[in-house]
Amino acid sequence: MSQMSKMMNCNDYKEALTADPGFEDESGHVDSCASCQAYSAEILALDEKIAAAMAINVPELTMPELLEIDTEKVTPLVARRRLPKPVWFALAATVLLAVFVGIRAPDMGSMEGTLEEQVLAHVDHEPRALRVSSTPVSDNRLARAVPANVAAMNHDIGLITYAQSCVINGKTIPHLVIQGEYGPVTILLMPEEKISAAKSLDGVNIQGVILPVGNGSIAIIGNREEKLDRIKQNVLDSVTWST
Amino acid sequence: MNNSDATHDKRQRFDRIVAVFHMDMFRYAAWLCRDKSIAEDVVQEALLRAWKSLDALRDDGAAKQWLLTIVRRENARYFERRRLETVDIDNLTASQSALLAEAPNEELNDLREAIYGLEDDYREPLVLQVLMGYSTNEIAELMGLKQGAVLTRLHRARLKLKDEAASEEFS
Repeated sequence: MSQMSKMMNCNDYKEALTADPGFEDESGHVDSCASCQAYSAEILALDEKIAAAMAINVPELTMPELLEIDTEKVTPLVARRRLPKPVWFALAATVLLAVFVGIRAPDMGSMEGTLEEQVLAHVDHEPRALRVSSTPVSDNRLARAVPANVAAMNHDIGLITYAQSCVINGKTIPHLVIQGEYGPVTILLMPEEKISAAKSLDGVNIQGVILPVGNGSIAIIGNREEKLDRIKQNVLDSVTWST
Repeated sequence: MNNSDATHDKRQRFDRIVAVFHMDMFRYAAWLCRDKSIAEDVVQEALLRAWKSLDALRDDGAAKQWLLTIVRRENARYFERRRLETVDIDNLTASQSALLAEAPNEELNDLREAIYGLEDDYREPLVLQVLMGYSTNEIAELMGLKQGAVLTRLHRARLKLKDEAASEEFS
Protein backbone atom coordinates (compact mmCIF):
# COMPACT_ATOMS: atom_id res chain seq x y z
CA MET A 1 0.00 0.00 0.00
CA SER A 2 1.39 3.39 -0.94
CA GLN A 3 2.00 6.22 1.49
CA MET A 4 -0.81 8.11 -0.20
CA SER A 5 -3.34 5.33 0.32
CA LYS A 6 -2.36 4.98 4.00
CA MET A 7 -2.97 8.66 4.64
CA MET A 8 -5.92 9.19 2.32
CA ASN A 9 -8.42 11.77 3.48
CA CYS A 10 -11.06 13.81 1.68
CA ASN A 11 -8.62 16.42 0.43
CA ASP A 12 -6.13 13.84 -0.82
CA TYR A 13 -8.83 11.87 -2.56
CA LYS A 14 -10.48 14.85 -4.21
CA GLU A 15 -7.15 16.25 -5.35
CA ALA A 16 -6.08 12.94 -6.87
CA LEU A 17 -9.43 12.37 -8.53
CA THR A 18 -9.56 15.87 -9.98
CA ALA A 19 -6.17 15.32 -11.61
CA ASP A 20 -7.04 11.83 -12.81
CA PRO A 21 -10.64 10.56 -12.71
CA GLY A 22 -9.25 7.07 -13.25
CA PHE A 23 -7.56 7.28 -9.85
CA GLU A 24 -7.99 4.12 -7.79
CA ASP A 25 -8.50 4.68 -4.07
CA GLU A 26 -6.79 1.68 -2.54
CA SER A 27 -7.29 2.94 0.99
CA GLY A 28 -11.03 2.37 0.92
CA HIS A 29 -11.62 5.94 2.10
CA VAL A 30 -14.21 6.69 -0.55
CA ASP A 31 -16.33 3.68 0.40
CA SER A 32 -17.08 5.21 3.76
CA CYS A 33 -17.25 8.85 2.72
CA ALA A 34 -20.47 10.14 1.21
CA SER A 35 -18.89 13.48 0.40
CA CYS A 36 -16.14 11.86 -1.67
CA GLN A 37 -18.61 9.55 -3.39
CA ALA A 38 -20.65 12.59 -4.42
CA TYR A 39 -17.50 14.38 -5.56
CA SER A 40 -16.45 11.34 -7.60
CA ALA A 41 -19.82 11.28 -9.35
CA GLU A 42 -19.55 15.00 -10.02
CA ILE A 43 -16.07 14.76 -11.53
CA LEU A 44 -16.95 11.75 -13.67
CA ALA A 45 -20.05 13.53 -14.96
CA LEU A 46 -17.95 16.60 -15.70
CA ASP A 47 -15.43 14.47 -17.59
CA GLU A 48 -18.15 12.97 -19.76
CA LYS A 49 -19.25 16.48 -20.66
CA ILE A 50 -15.65 17.58 -21.32
CA ALA A 51 -15.18 14.60 -23.65
CA ALA A 52 -18.39 15.46 -25.49
CA ALA A 53 -17.40 19.13 -25.75
CA MET A 54 -13.97 18.22 -27.11
CA ALA A 55 -15.34 15.81 -29.71
CA ILE A 56 -15.54 18.37 -32.50
CA ASN A 57 -16.51 17.32 -35.98
CA VAL A 58 -13.57 16.21 -38.08
CA PRO A 59 -13.48 17.17 -41.76
CA GLU A 60 -13.03 14.47 -44.35
CA LEU A 61 -9.43 13.42 -44.70
CA THR A 62 -7.63 15.04 -47.60
CA MET A 63 -4.36 13.27 -48.17
CA PRO A 64 -1.56 15.59 -49.34
CA GLU A 65 0.47 14.62 -52.37
CA LEU A 66 2.95 12.10 -51.05
CA LEU A 67 6.12 12.01 -53.04
CA GLU A 68 8.27 8.92 -52.91
CA ILE A 69 11.59 9.50 -51.25
CA ASP A 70 14.88 7.73 -51.31
CA THR A 71 14.60 5.66 -48.16
CA GLU A 72 18.32 4.93 -48.28
CA LYS A 73 18.89 8.50 -47.12
CA VAL A 74 16.52 8.29 -44.19
CA THR A 75 18.15 7.83 -40.83
CA PRO A 76 15.91 5.66 -38.68
CA LEU A 77 15.14 7.03 -35.25
CA VAL A 78 15.07 4.85 -32.22
CA ALA A 79 11.52 3.66 -31.66
CA ARG A 80 9.99 5.51 -28.76
CA ARG A 81 8.49 2.47 -27.22
CA ARG A 82 8.47 -1.15 -28.20
CA LEU A 83 5.12 -2.77 -27.76
CA PRO A 84 4.29 -6.42 -28.31
CA LYS A 85 2.33 -7.18 -31.45
CA PRO A 86 -0.99 -7.89 -29.75
CA VAL A 87 -0.93 -4.32 -28.44
CA TRP A 88 -0.97 -3.06 -32.01
CA PHE A 89 -4.11 -5.06 -32.71
CA ALA A 90 -5.66 -3.75 -29.53
CA LEU A 91 -4.76 -0.13 -30.27
CA ALA A 92 -5.95 -0.40 -33.82
CA ALA A 93 -9.16 -2.02 -32.68
CA THR A 94 -9.72 0.65 -30.09
CA VAL A 95 -9.25 3.55 -32.41
CA LEU A 96 -11.03 1.96 -35.34
CA LEU A 97 -13.88 1.36 -32.97
CA ALA A 98 -13.80 5.04 -32.09
CA VAL A 99 -13.68 5.97 -35.77
CA PHE A 100 -16.58 3.66 -36.52
CA VAL A 101 -18.64 4.97 -33.68
CA GLY A 102 -17.73 8.50 -34.67
CA ILE A 103 -19.23 7.84 -38.08
CA ARG A 104 -22.31 6.28 -36.61
CA ALA A 105 -22.83 8.86 -33.91
CA PRO A 106 -20.94 12.07 -34.73
CA ASP A 107 -22.97 14.13 -32.29
CA MET A 108 -21.81 12.91 -28.94
CA GLY A 109 -23.91 15.45 -27.10
CA SER A 110 -27.08 13.97 -28.42
CA MET A 111 -27.86 10.80 -26.55
CA GLU A 112 -31.14 10.08 -28.28
CA GLY A 113 -31.48 7.20 -30.73
CA THR A 114 -31.94 3.46 -30.71
CA LEU A 115 -30.49 1.37 -27.95
CA GLU A 116 -27.84 0.12 -30.40
CA GLU A 117 -26.83 3.70 -31.26
CA GLN A 118 -26.67 4.72 -27.63
CA VAL A 119 -24.56 1.69 -26.76
CA LEU A 120 -22.12 2.41 -29.59
CA ALA A 121 -21.98 6.11 -28.74
CA HIS A 122 -21.25 5.27 -25.14
CA VAL A 123 -18.38 2.94 -25.99
CA ASP A 124 -16.68 5.86 -27.71
CA HIS A 125 -17.58 8.24 -24.93
CA GLU A 126 -14.88 7.24 -22.49
CA PRO A 127 -11.58 6.70 -24.32
CA ARG A 128 -9.71 5.80 -21.16
CA ALA A 129 -12.01 2.82 -20.76
CA LEU A 130 -10.53 1.21 -23.87
CA ARG A 131 -6.98 1.00 -22.69
CA VAL A 132 -4.95 -2.15 -23.04
CA SER A 133 -4.14 -3.11 -19.48
CA SER A 134 -3.26 -6.05 -17.32
CA THR A 135 -4.26 -4.28 -14.11
CA PRO A 136 -7.60 -5.35 -12.69
CA VAL A 137 -9.87 -2.77 -11.12
CA SER A 138 -10.05 -2.96 -7.35
CA ASP A 139 -12.83 -4.90 -5.68
CA ASN A 140 -14.09 -1.66 -4.19
CA ARG A 141 -14.41 0.03 -7.55
CA LEU A 142 -16.09 -3.02 -9.02
CA ALA A 143 -18.52 -3.12 -6.13
CA ARG A 144 -19.39 0.54 -6.66
CA ALA A 145 -19.91 0.06 -10.38
CA VAL A 146 -21.95 -3.12 -9.97
CA PRO A 147 -23.96 -2.62 -6.77
CA ALA A 148 -25.32 -5.74 -5.13
CA ASN A 149 -28.87 -4.53 -5.66
CA VAL A 150 -28.29 -4.42 -9.42
CA ALA A 151 -26.45 -7.63 -10.21
CA ALA A 152 -24.31 -10.36 -8.74
CA MET A 153 -21.19 -11.24 -10.67
CA ASN A 154 -18.44 -13.79 -10.21
CA HIS A 155 -14.83 -13.44 -11.27
CA ASP A 156 -15.07 -15.87 -14.20
CA ILE A 157 -16.14 -13.01 -16.43
CA GLY A 158 -12.51 -12.21 -17.23
CA LEU A 159 -9.87 -9.59 -16.40
CA ILE A 160 -11.91 -6.46 -15.64
CA THR A 161 -9.79 -3.36 -16.24
CA TYR A 162 -12.50 -0.72 -16.13
CA ALA A 163 -15.67 -0.42 -14.08
CA GLN A 164 -17.85 2.62 -13.92
CA SER A 165 -21.46 3.63 -13.36
CA CYS A 166 -22.74 5.23 -16.53
CA VAL A 167 -26.02 6.41 -17.98
CA ILE A 168 -27.66 4.73 -20.97
CA ASN A 169 -31.16 5.69 -22.01
CA GLY A 170 -31.52 7.74 -18.83
CA LYS A 171 -30.71 4.81 -16.56
CA THR A 172 -27.59 4.28 -14.51
CA ILE A 173 -25.92 1.05 -15.56
CA PRO A 174 -22.60 -0.76 -14.89
CA HIS A 175 -20.05 -0.23 -17.66
CA LEU A 176 -17.25 -2.80 -17.61
CA VAL A 177 -14.28 -3.48 -19.84
CA ILE A 178 -12.51 -6.82 -19.88
CA GLN A 179 -9.34 -7.64 -21.78
CA GLY A 180 -10.01 -9.96 -24.68
CA GLU A 181 -7.56 -11.75 -26.89
CA TYR A 182 -7.57 -8.91 -29.43
CA GLY A 183 -8.06 -5.92 -27.16
CA PRO A 184 -10.56 -4.41 -24.75
CA VAL A 185 -14.10 -5.75 -24.78
CA THR A 186 -16.89 -3.48 -23.53
CA ILE A 187 -19.71 -4.93 -21.46
CA LEU A 188 -22.76 -2.87 -20.53
CA LEU A 189 -25.11 -4.44 -17.98
CA MET A 190 -28.59 -3.02 -18.57
CA PRO A 191 -30.98 -4.67 -16.11
CA GLU A 192 -33.89 -2.43 -17.11
CA GLU A 193 -33.48 -2.50 -20.91
CA LYS A 194 -35.72 -5.35 -21.91
CA ILE A 195 -35.43 -6.48 -25.52
CA SER A 196 -37.28 -9.24 -27.27
CA ALA A 197 -34.39 -10.64 -29.30
CA ALA A 198 -30.63 -10.29 -29.62
CA LYS A 199 -29.44 -7.26 -31.61
CA SER A 200 -26.24 -7.44 -33.62
CA LEU A 201 -23.75 -4.59 -33.67
CA ASP A 202 -21.71 -4.91 -36.81
CA GLY A 203 -18.99 -2.62 -38.11
CA VAL A 204 -15.94 -2.68 -40.29
CA ASN A 205 -13.64 -3.49 -37.41
CA ILE A 206 -15.91 -4.31 -34.53
CA GLN A 207 -18.58 -6.76 -33.71
CA GLY A 208 -20.99 -6.84 -30.88
CA VAL A 209 -24.33 -7.95 -29.64
CA ILE A 210 -27.02 -6.88 -27.22
CA LEU A 211 -28.36 -10.00 -25.58
CA PRO A 212 -31.77 -10.28 -23.91
CA VAL A 213 -31.22 -11.43 -20.34
CA GLY A 214 -34.33 -11.75 -18.17
CA ASN A 215 -35.98 -8.35 -17.87
CA GLY A 216 -32.85 -6.62 -19.07
CA SER A 217 -30.07 -6.93 -21.58
CA ILE A 218 -26.30 -7.05 -21.80
CA ALA A 219 -24.23 -5.42 -24.55
CA ILE A 220 -20.86 -6.93 -25.50
CA ILE A 221 -18.64 -5.16 -28.05
CA GLY A 222 -15.15 -6.11 -29.14
CA ASN A 223 -12.74 -6.35 -32.01
CA ARG A 224 -13.91 -8.15 -35.14
CA GLU A 225 -11.31 -10.84 -34.53
CA GLU A 226 -12.43 -11.40 -30.97
CA LYS A 227 -14.09 -14.72 -30.18
CA LEU A 228 -17.22 -13.23 -28.71
CA ASP A 229 -19.11 -16.51 -28.35
CA ARG A 230 -16.82 -17.60 -25.54
CA ILE A 231 -17.00 -14.18 -23.89
CA LYS A 232 -20.78 -14.10 -24.25
CA GLN A 233 -21.05 -17.43 -22.51
CA ASN A 234 -18.71 -16.31 -19.72
CA VAL A 235 -20.72 -13.14 -19.20
CA LEU A 236 -24.05 -14.96 -19.16
CA ASP A 237 -22.67 -17.52 -16.74
CA SER A 238 -21.15 -14.84 -14.50
CA VAL A 239 -23.91 -12.24 -14.21
CA THR A 240 -27.20 -12.60 -12.37
CA TRP A 241 -29.66 -9.74 -12.00
CA SER A 242 -30.56 -8.99 -8.40
CA THR A 243 -34.06 -7.75 -9.22
CA MET B 1 10.69 -7.29 -53.33
CA ASN B 2 11.09 -4.67 -56.08
CA ASN B 3 10.82 -0.89 -55.59
CA SER B 4 7.27 -0.74 -56.87
CA ASP B 5 6.08 -3.40 -54.43
CA ALA B 6 7.94 -1.74 -51.58
CA THR B 7 6.36 1.63 -52.38
CA HIS B 8 2.94 0.05 -52.63
CA ASP B 9 3.38 -1.68 -49.27
CA LYS B 10 4.63 1.49 -47.68
CA ARG B 11 1.68 3.47 -48.99
CA GLN B 12 -0.72 0.82 -47.76
CA ARG B 13 0.86 0.89 -44.34
CA PHE B 14 0.69 4.69 -44.24
CA ASP B 15 -2.94 4.79 -45.38
CA ARG B 16 -3.87 2.23 -42.75
CA ILE B 17 -2.21 4.16 -39.95
CA VAL B 18 -3.65 7.49 -41.06
CA ALA B 19 -7.15 6.05 -41.42
CA VAL B 20 -6.98 4.87 -37.83
CA PHE B 21 -5.54 8.01 -36.29
CA HIS B 22 -6.68 10.87 -38.52
CA MET B 23 -9.52 11.92 -36.22
CA ASP B 24 -7.19 11.99 -33.23
CA MET B 25 -4.64 14.02 -35.17
CA PHE B 26 -7.18 16.60 -36.21
CA ARG B 27 -8.86 16.97 -32.84
CA TYR B 28 -5.52 17.23 -31.07
CA ALA B 29 -4.34 19.88 -33.55
CA ALA B 30 -7.62 21.78 -33.32
CA TRP B 31 -7.47 21.99 -29.53
CA LEU B 32 -3.80 22.91 -29.62
CA CYS B 33 -4.22 25.83 -32.00
CA ARG B 34 -7.93 26.52 -31.37
CA ASP B 35 -8.59 27.11 -35.05
CA LYS B 36 -10.04 24.55 -37.44
CA SER B 37 -8.43 25.97 -40.57
CA ILE B 38 -5.01 26.08 -38.97
CA ALA B 39 -5.59 22.58 -37.63
CA GLU B 40 -6.19 21.35 -41.17
CA ASP B 41 -2.91 22.96 -42.27
CA VAL B 42 -1.06 21.50 -39.31
CA VAL B 43 -2.43 18.02 -40.02
CA GLN B 44 -1.48 18.29 -43.70
CA GLU B 45 2.07 19.26 -42.76
CA ALA B 46 2.17 16.49 -40.18
CA LEU B 47 1.03 13.93 -42.74
CA LEU B 48 3.78 14.99 -45.13
CA ARG B 49 6.39 14.76 -42.40
CA ALA B 50 5.05 11.42 -41.23
CA TRP B 51 5.19 10.04 -44.76
CA LYS B 52 8.78 11.17 -45.18
CA SER B 53 9.86 9.53 -41.96
CA LEU B 54 7.58 6.51 -41.96
CA ASP B 55 10.54 4.16 -42.00
CA ALA B 56 11.55 5.59 -38.64
CA LEU B 57 8.39 4.16 -37.15
CA ARG B 58 9.59 0.68 -36.37
CA ASP B 59 6.54 -0.44 -34.43
CA ASP B 60 3.02 0.34 -35.63
CA GLY B 61 1.85 -0.11 -32.05
CA ALA B 62 3.50 3.22 -31.28
CA ALA B 63 1.89 4.98 -34.25
CA LYS B 64 -0.56 7.10 -32.27
CA GLN B 65 2.08 8.62 -30.01
CA TRP B 66 4.39 9.05 -32.99
CA LEU B 67 1.76 10.90 -35.03
CA LEU B 68 0.61 13.09 -32.14
CA THR B 69 4.22 14.04 -31.47
CA ILE B 70 4.56 15.09 -35.11
CA VAL B 71 1.33 17.11 -34.88
CA ARG B 72 2.62 18.80 -31.75
CA ARG B 73 5.88 19.77 -33.44
CA GLU B 74 4.14 20.95 -36.61
CA ASN B 75 1.82 23.10 -34.54
CA ALA B 76 4.81 24.67 -32.80
CA ARG B 77 6.51 25.24 -36.16
CA TYR B 78 3.38 26.84 -37.55
CA PHE B 79 3.24 29.38 -34.77
CA GLU B 80 6.98 30.00 -34.87
CA ARG B 81 6.65 30.90 -38.53
CA ARG B 82 3.66 33.14 -38.11
CA ARG B 83 4.06 34.46 -34.59
CA LEU B 84 0.31 34.74 -34.21
CA GLU B 85 -1.03 36.75 -31.37
CA THR B 86 -3.22 35.42 -28.63
CA VAL B 87 -6.83 36.05 -29.45
CA ASP B 88 -9.63 37.22 -27.24
CA ILE B 89 -12.56 34.83 -27.13
CA ASP B 90 -14.93 37.73 -27.90
CA ASN B 91 -13.02 38.67 -31.01
CA LEU B 92 -12.54 35.46 -32.97
CA THR B 93 -12.11 34.91 -36.67
CA ALA B 94 -14.69 32.81 -38.49
CA SER B 95 -12.29 29.90 -38.53
CA GLN B 96 -11.71 30.15 -34.79
CA SER B 97 -15.41 30.49 -34.15
CA ALA B 98 -16.05 27.36 -36.18
CA LEU B 99 -14.51 25.32 -33.42
CA LEU B 100 -17.10 26.61 -30.98
CA ALA B 101 -20.08 26.68 -33.31
CA GLU B 102 -20.84 23.00 -33.43
CA ALA B 103 -21.86 22.18 -29.88
CA PRO B 104 -25.22 20.41 -29.86
CA ASN B 105 -26.58 22.24 -26.85
CA GLU B 106 -25.99 25.31 -24.73
CA GLU B 107 -24.37 23.44 -21.85
CA LEU B 108 -21.77 21.81 -24.10
CA ASN B 109 -21.28 25.10 -25.90
CA ASP B 110 -20.49 26.82 -22.60
CA LEU B 111 -18.11 24.04 -21.67
CA ARG B 112 -16.44 24.15 -25.08
CA GLU B 113 -15.89 27.88 -24.64
CA ALA B 114 -14.44 27.26 -21.20
CA ILE B 115 -12.04 24.65 -22.64
CA TYR B 116 -11.18 27.09 -25.41
CA GLY B 117 -10.39 29.70 -22.79
CA LEU B 118 -8.03 27.50 -20.79
CA GLU B 119 -4.34 28.34 -20.95
CA ASP B 120 -2.43 26.15 -23.41
CA ASP B 121 -0.53 24.51 -20.56
CA TYR B 122 -3.77 23.31 -19.02
CA ARG B 123 -5.77 22.57 -22.16
CA GLU B 124 -3.24 20.28 -23.83
CA PRO B 125 -2.85 17.68 -21.07
CA LEU B 126 -6.60 17.67 -20.58
CA VAL B 127 -7.15 16.92 -24.28
CA LEU B 128 -4.58 14.15 -24.14
CA GLN B 129 -6.15 12.60 -21.05
CA VAL B 130 -9.84 12.98 -21.80
CA LEU B 131 -9.93 12.75 -25.58
CA MET B 132 -6.90 10.60 -26.36
CA GLY B 133 -7.12 8.33 -23.32
CA TYR B 134 -3.50 8.95 -22.33
CA SER B 135 -2.24 8.13 -18.86
CA THR B 136 -0.50 10.88 -16.91
CA ASN B 137 2.80 9.09 -17.55
CA GLU B 138 2.23 9.13 -21.30
CA ILE B 139 1.25 12.80 -21.18
CA ALA B 140 4.40 13.59 -19.26
CA GLU B 141 6.47 11.77 -21.87
CA LEU B 142 4.81 13.52 -24.80
CA MET B 143 4.98 16.99 -23.25
CA GLY B 144 8.42 16.57 -21.76
CA LEU B 145 7.19 17.19 -18.23
CA LYS B 146 7.39 15.42 -14.91
CA GLN B 147 4.31 13.46 -13.95
CA GLY B 148 3.75 15.72 -10.94
CA ALA B 149 3.56 18.76 -13.19
CA VAL B 150 1.04 17.01 -15.41
CA LEU B 151 -1.11 16.11 -12.40
CA THR B 152 -1.01 19.70 -11.18
CA ARG B 153 -2.05 21.05 -14.56
CA LEU B 154 -4.86 18.53 -14.92
CA HIS B 155 -6.09 19.31 -11.44
CA ARG B 156 -6.16 23.03 -12.11
CA ALA B 157 -7.75 22.59 -15.53
CA ARG B 158 -10.63 20.56 -14.12
CA LEU B 159 -11.15 22.93 -11.23
CA LYS B 160 -11.39 25.82 -13.67
CA LEU B 161 -13.92 23.98 -15.81
CA LYS B 162 -15.84 22.87 -12.74
CA ASP B 163 -16.01 26.46 -11.49
CA GLU B 164 -17.07 27.68 -14.93
CA ALA B 165 -19.79 25.06 -15.09
CA ALA B 166 -21.01 26.03 -11.63
CA SER B 167 -21.04 29.74 -12.47
CA GLU B 168 -22.99 29.05 -15.67
CA GLU B 169 -25.60 27.16 -13.68
CA PHE B 170 -26.20 30.14 -11.43
CA SER B 171 -25.96 32.85 -14.06
